[in-house]
Amino acid sequence: MAELSLQHIDKIYDNNVQAVFDFNLDVKDGELIVLVGPSGCGKSTTLRMVAGLEDISRGKLLLDGRDITQAPAKDRDMAMVFQNYALYAHMTIYENMAFSLTLRKEDPNVIHKKVLAAAEILGLTTQLNKKPNQLSGGQRQRVAMGRSIVRNPKVFLFDEPLSNLDAKLRGATRREILLLHKRLSATMLYVTHDQTEALTLADRIVCMSMGHVQQVGTPLELYDKPNNLFVASFIGLPPMNFFDVTVEDGRLCGQGFEAPLTAQEQDTLANYLHKTIVLGVRPEDISEGGTLRVQVSTNENLGMNTLVHGHLGEGSRVSAKLRGWASYADGDVLMAKFDRKHFFDKETTNAIRGKGD
Amino acid sequence: MSEAREIKLDRMRYTKNTTSSRLALLAIVFDVLFFISIYKSNVSTWYYNILMGASIIYNLVFLLAAFLASESVKNYRAGYSWLMIILGVIQIARIWIYPMTAHAALVNNEPVMGDAQFIRCVIYLVLSAACLFAGAVVNTNKSRALSRHISSLEAGKAA
Repeated sequence: MAELSLQHIDKIYDNNVQAVFDFNLDVKDGELIVLVGPSGCGKSTTLRMVAGLEDISRGKLLLDGRDITQAPAKDRDMAMVFQNYALYAHMTIYENMAFSLTLRKEDPNVIHKKVLAAAEILGLTTQLNKKPNQLSGGQRQRVAMGRSIVRNPKVFLFDEPLSNLDAKLRGATRREILLLHKRLSATMLYVTHDQTEALTLADRIVCMSMGHVQQVGTPLELYDKPNNLFVASFIGLPPMNFFDVTVEDGRLCGQGFEAPLTAQEQDTLANYLHKTIVLGVRPEDISEGGTLRVQVSTNENLGMNTLVHGHLGEGSRVSAKLRGWASYADGDVLMAKFDRKHFFDKETTNAIRGKGD
Repeated sequence: MSEAREIKLDRMRYTKNTTSSRLALLAIVFDVLFFISIYKSNVSTWYYNILMGASIIYNLVFLLAAFLASESVKNYRAGYSWLMIILGVIQIARIWIYPMTAHAALVNNEPVMGDAQFIRCVIYLVLSAACLFAGAVVNTNKSRALSRHISSLEAGKAA
């Protein structure tokens, strides 16, 4: 049982730079929360505050209802996995995994049982007598995870653990982390700047920018119902297309293009008639066979999809992700339609939602 | 066999034999103390000079061999127990070569090695030998037990 509660947490450094603003989050027992955002958004700082590696300037941190805001890192019963593994090069894998328990002077037989159990979970049983430099990056990261598992902590903290791995290994290790989470049912906080990791791993995602929480929700909520322009642009690959458009009667007028509105969309935009808003359309929500003229500039075949880049009307750049293999040449015209639209207030950048949304 | 004993045996698959290794290192320490002690001898004839020279050269050989044994027994290599025993026997035999000969000899009516120096040298050599013997016995027992344990694990896997 490990419930974590971050209440109104601020981080202000000695030079008065504020890295985190009023961070609030309740993490349920066994939940995997992913903090995602661009570099410098405060996600790692937040994780380090939870771990006790950074002081909390303001606010409260509760673990199972107990205030641990001022508790030293060693008393928080949390284990952290770092990007650079932080393994001892002169020790074997067994010794690395047993190290924290040896420091606590636990019974060697108990340590042995725990290390073997963790090695079994992570598929490291045959590697225990090796040194870290004899293992691949993925295996080293598994050792780092094993070192956390043997401690049986209340909360696991991961600080960009896959960033040092190549793309193939990253995918494999990501699946292992997911399996590990299912197997241990442990509370986990995971920091990444990679939205694919966030979407595939998380029970809930916390999307951050400039030290502020932009949205907290399930991966589907963040993808499907982004709160604002930042979340809409950050989540999704390739990123969402944005167009400045004016809301007219039954249609949206952009730079050199017009898109029809459904009755429900008209209802949503009722307060924005004759005003300029931001229209967001995901590349995968653009399909062939409409009235919108896209002047194609590049065509990228990805196998099961084709990414078509071009200009809509008189210059708005647009990317479309079409199903299957398409072969558009530079200068070709793609007649397209928007299957799904997102609307954002131009002033506040917040999403414009209807009654049903 | 009790579970605790079974786990203790299994632990040896992943942990070093530090007891034997440290005993071999301790034997080196005592040998170095002996090495330092013999310099105080009142050597003024070629005979004892040669004896001391030979002792110094052997010391270097001993340091290398004992260190090699220390590193090898760390990984439960049973054969190196024999090297430790041989080195231990030589350490005992050395008592009759330099300290004893020098203690009994007089040069210009002065003993080559005084009583206190002689006792110190003998104690260092005996302690060095004792460490080597103890390390060898521990290593032999542990490596045999580990070997049996691995065999039983492999037999279990095969079954």
